[in-house]
Amino acid sequence: MNVVNVLLILPAAGFLAVLLLPRSRPDAAKIAALAVSLAVFLLSLSIAAPVHGDGAELKFVTDVQWIASPDIRYHVGVDGLSVWLVILTALLTPICVLISWRYIERRVKEFYAFLLLLEVGLIGVFVAWDLFLFYVFWELSLVPMYFLIGIWGHERRIYAAVKFFLFTMAGSVLMLAAIIYLYLRAGTFDYVVLQEQMASGQLMLTTGEQLLLFLAFFLAFAIKVPLFPLHTWLPDAHVEAPSAGSVMLASVMLKMGTYGLLRFCLPMFPNAARQCAPWIIVLAIIGIIYGALVSLVQPNMKKLVAYSSVSHLGFVVLGIFTFNEIALDGAVYQMLNHGISTGALFMLVGFLYERRHSLEIADYGGVATPAPNLAAAFLITTLASIGLPLLNNFVGEFLVLQGAALVNFRWAVFAAIGVILSACYMLWMYQRAFFGETPEEVRSHVYDLRAREWAAILPLIALMLWMGIGTGAFLPPIQALNRTVLEQTKSNAEFLVKETPPRPPLRTENGAGAGRGLLNAR
Amino acid sequence: MPASLFPPYEDLLRILPEIVLTIAGTLVMVLEPALRPERKRLLGGIAIAGLLVALWGTAVANLFRGPAFHQMVVVDGFATFFRALVIVVGILAVLCSIHYLQRERPDSGEYYALVLFSVVGQSVMAAANELIMIFIGLEISSIATYVLAGYLRDDRRNNESAIKYFLLGSFATAFLLYGIAWIYGAAGTTNLVEIRRVLSTPELAPPRFLVGVSAALMFVGFAFKVSAAPFQVWAPDVYQGAPAPVTAFMSAGPKAAAFAIFLRVYMTAFEPISNRWEPVVWLSALATMFVGNFAALLQNNIKRLLAYSSIAHAGYVMVAVSAHSEIGTAAAMFYLAAYAFMNVGAFAVVTHFARQGEKYVDVDDLAGLGHRQPVTAALFSIFLLSLIGIPLTGGFFGKFYIFKAALEAKLYWLTVIGLLNSAVAAYYYLRILVVMYFHEPGEAAQTVSPVAPGVKIALWASAAGTLLLGIFPSVILDFADRSAALMK
Amino acid sequence: MPSSYPEQYFPIVLQIAIAMAIAGAMVAASYLLGKRVRNPVKDSAYESGMVPVGTARERFSVKFYLVAMIFILFDVEVVFLYPWAVVYRDLGLYGFLVMFLFFDLVLWGFYYMWKKGVLDWSEEPPRS
Repeated sequence: MNVVNVLLILPAAGFLAVLLLPRSRPDAAKIAALAVSLAVFLLSLSIAAPVHGDGAELKFVTDVQWIASPDIRYHVGVDGLSVWLVILTALLTPICVLISWRYIERRVKEFYAFLLLLEVGLIGVFVAWDLFLFYVFWELSLVPMYFLIGIWGHERRIYAAVKFFLFTMAGSVLMLAAIIYLYLRAGTFDYVVLQEQMASGQLMLTTGEQLLLFLAFFLAFAIKVPLFPLHTWLPDAHVEAPSAGSVMLASVMLKMGTYGLLRFCLPMFPNAARQCAPWIIVLAIIGIIYGALVSLVQPNMKKLVAYSSVSHLGFVVLGIFTFNEIALDGAVYQMLNHGISTGALFMLVGFLYERRHSLEIADYGGVATPAPNLAAAFLITTLASIGLPLLNNFVGEFLVLQGAALVNFRWAVFAAIGVILSACYMLWMYQRAFFGETPEEVRSHVYDLRAREWAAILPLIALMLWMGIGTGAFLPPIQALNRTVLEQTKSNAEFLVKETPPRPPLRTENGAGAGRGLLNAR
Repeated sequence: MPASLFPPYEDLLRILPEIVLTIAGTLVMVLEPALRPERKRLLGGIAIAGLLVALWGTAVANLFRGPAFHQMVVVDGFATFFRALVIVVGILAVLCSIHYLQRERPDSGEYYALVLFSVVGQSVMAAANELIMIFIGLEISSIATYVLAGYLRDDRRNNESAIKYFLLGSFATAFLLYGIAWIYGAAGTTNLVEIRRVLSTPELAPPRFLVGVSAALMFVGFAFKVSAAPFQVWAPDVYQGAPAPVTAFMSAGPKAAAFAIFLRVYMTAFEPISNRWEPVVWLSALATMFVGNFAALLQNNIKRLLAYSSIAHAGYVMVAVSAHSEIGTAAAMFYLAAYAFMNVGAFAVVTHFARQGEKYVDVDDLAGLGHRQPVTAALFSIFLLSLIGIPLTGGFFGKFYIFKAALEAKLYWLTVIGLLNSAVAAYYYLRILVVMYFHEPGEAAQTVSPVAPGVKIALWASAAGTLLLGIFPSVILDFADRSAALMK
Repeated sequence: MPSSYPEQYFPIVLQIAIAMAIAGAMVAASYLLGKRVRNPVKDSAYESGMVPVGTARERFSVKFYLVAMIFILFDVEVVFLYPWAVVYRDLGLYGFLVMFLFFDLVLWGFYYMWKKGVLDWSEEPPRS
């Protein structure tokens, strides 16, 4: 049987199984969730190698009819873009189970059940190749996250949960309208068929249609990313969510947005995308700088990390909309990096919260003394997050900046400000929390990493290093895919070139080559 | 002459469900005074048995498709669909009622007879092919429902509800009847297919004005019955005041039947003038969605909230009607089926939770139900998520098909506004979820008793229906598709 | 055969005129010939035997309404019965069966209300 199906069925079965466990045995729920999610992770590794060869090709395909009329198909598969995101999701779920082990005390079995349901939704989003199926998983992932925030969150959890739900819902209903419209035009929800129809000119959208459809999709994704003026749900949701919720939200859910942009917005509506790109890039750059500046003044650790997410995802959006291969590679790489380093940050902040029950930076200080290992792990993660060379974020940010600079140098300059600021706020926070005088509360409450916590954080730290050094293990399928995406945006663009893309994307062969050479050298 | 007076037996088979239901209803009625009070719960069982036999009768009638009794009724897929739907709603409502009735008014069993008679009326409406039959069906159904709405006659809210429903309902029915009179005067027939023929033949066509007035008057009657704006004002008061299981029943059954006749009249008889009624329905759909959703945002009483939500959902179905296509009709049919399950389910929870005298009917009373009765709360969540329109529930596919039909009919603005409305609607449904799961258990949840067996069956059945329609919508949709095509 | 419009309605006009004349004549005759006795009871309006003075919101026993409804029910039954009897021979067995069914239903209704105590006018109804 196709592994991808198993990746969906296994957590779904786990969800039901955990729900049916007796309430009196919370440990059974934990163990079951851990076992299921670990099994999913191990299985997910098996999809990496085949896709590695050619990321542009769709592999592990299952295509069966779900509903006859209208023709909705259960069409799943993975390619170079989805493969890492699926593995990332599968990796983070057991880690989330681990970090919640002690923290979640109330209604334990529901928590793990929702976590597994969330995994189904997230993996489903990344492997769905039928637009309708994609929408189903997209909405499905909303429900468990809503409950995770609402039941197990902090004080203002209800507000945050409802806001999160309504923002996403408002964006996605328009996407549904666009999906139905596409179906009525093309007679299919199948993304592959749609692509073929568009490439062959069988389905030609007028400029106006393309623009409206693009905006409908874009809005849904931009809210999820979140792009600058639509980001306000994010800090609330992050701050109020339990650690596991924050981790899943930051590491995977936000990627749903950028994944959607890259998967659907660019190849399906290339002209509209090119038309809107300058505006979007401006918003992305505002997001980068704004997020960084707000982070700088945050007294609350989780909020700081949340706003830094706004900033980091600005890079991803910037990379996607430069229409430059290097920047695109960087954007995808940055999606993964952000998933790992910000996930780790939320996790570590969660560890601190478990000990000291505060998220205020001012309540900490000198944590390094009672908990040196925790401090070390936090330091590595911080450095990764600010993009220190040899750690993962550096690669992504560098590629994005390089690609952006090739297209428009000013974009790169402004975006680079964000990199500098990120170093400021992250290091400043680190300094305030971990160095200096150790207050009595910290001394008495904060203890060092336990074995379970080590188990949760070590894989991520290892990945930060591996992704920072061994890019060759991760980049090839992404590059292959991005080349295809760029081809698609061009092949579709042909008959509308007269629509004046505001700044024809500049693509110098040797520039691209130099970038790749640099990376391969390390 | 004498021998031919006997209707052919196929004709009788074509109205088998009505016959069965009438006999069952009469049986309940006659047995009621004969039984000792403590044995009156038997009547609920008889009612369910009667409804189940009627469901079988619907299937039998479906084998003998075609017109009966001089074209007065017609058995087609459309009729079968709605007959089955209203009967299923009847079953669920009776299941919810058994315990409720024992709690609130244990000494009487006419309740079940009234439910059965109401279902008879709705079933007639589903199969009626002629305006007089439509009217008769509507009256049978409505009069029984008026009485049901005020069934607990010592309860002030019940009284208010019944009298409001009765007065406004009669008024609206009068409009309908007046419209029927106009079209009979103009077209010279009350048969829907005949009217369609007359209207679409240029030589025979009566003055446009007369037909327009008639269609408008009938629209008033129908819009009232489906609680579409601007004739929706009765719904919140009536739904709030009526006994909870009755509200469950009348927000699903009579509404579905009313949509059935609405669709049949407008898609058959008035189809030739569709370009003239379409804007009216369009506007009404828009207003209904807005009124329902925005008023629901402010409600604290859960019955009232669900009443406004019911208005909003009528608005979505109106979107499908205004698409005036076979796909739109099929979408409306599917939606009504999905809506019946999720709404009856939601009201079943309210019935269960309200306790003696419907004490706990505020949203805040539900606080902590998720802790105290996780299964009930989980089922309620399924209904609420379906009402929001989250995938894998019937409500989602219902909305999807409706808006697909609307886009196909090029109703772009209506689609966008409708979808945004459904995002607004998420807020008030979420509020119930919030209270239920995120608040600490309050007094009401602390004292909640186990779910009564009847309500439990109704809950599980509704949830199963909701999920079935959400995961395998084809089971119903294919039938709806075929039936919608058969209508003319 | 009257042909024009007014001609068609002439008999009705005639009937109205005669009716008015007779009514007028009766009132006039009693006014002219009758002996006059004036007292408060006689001067008050005739209300079918009820005392017309007092609050208008007098409450009746619900039994009045029930009896009225039963009356209408059986009244309607009779209304059906007459035309049916006229064409009974033509309808034959079919007519017999249909009317039998109709009576059967009405009879069950009668049984129902009997058992419900509608016809029982004692102060305390035996049940429900």
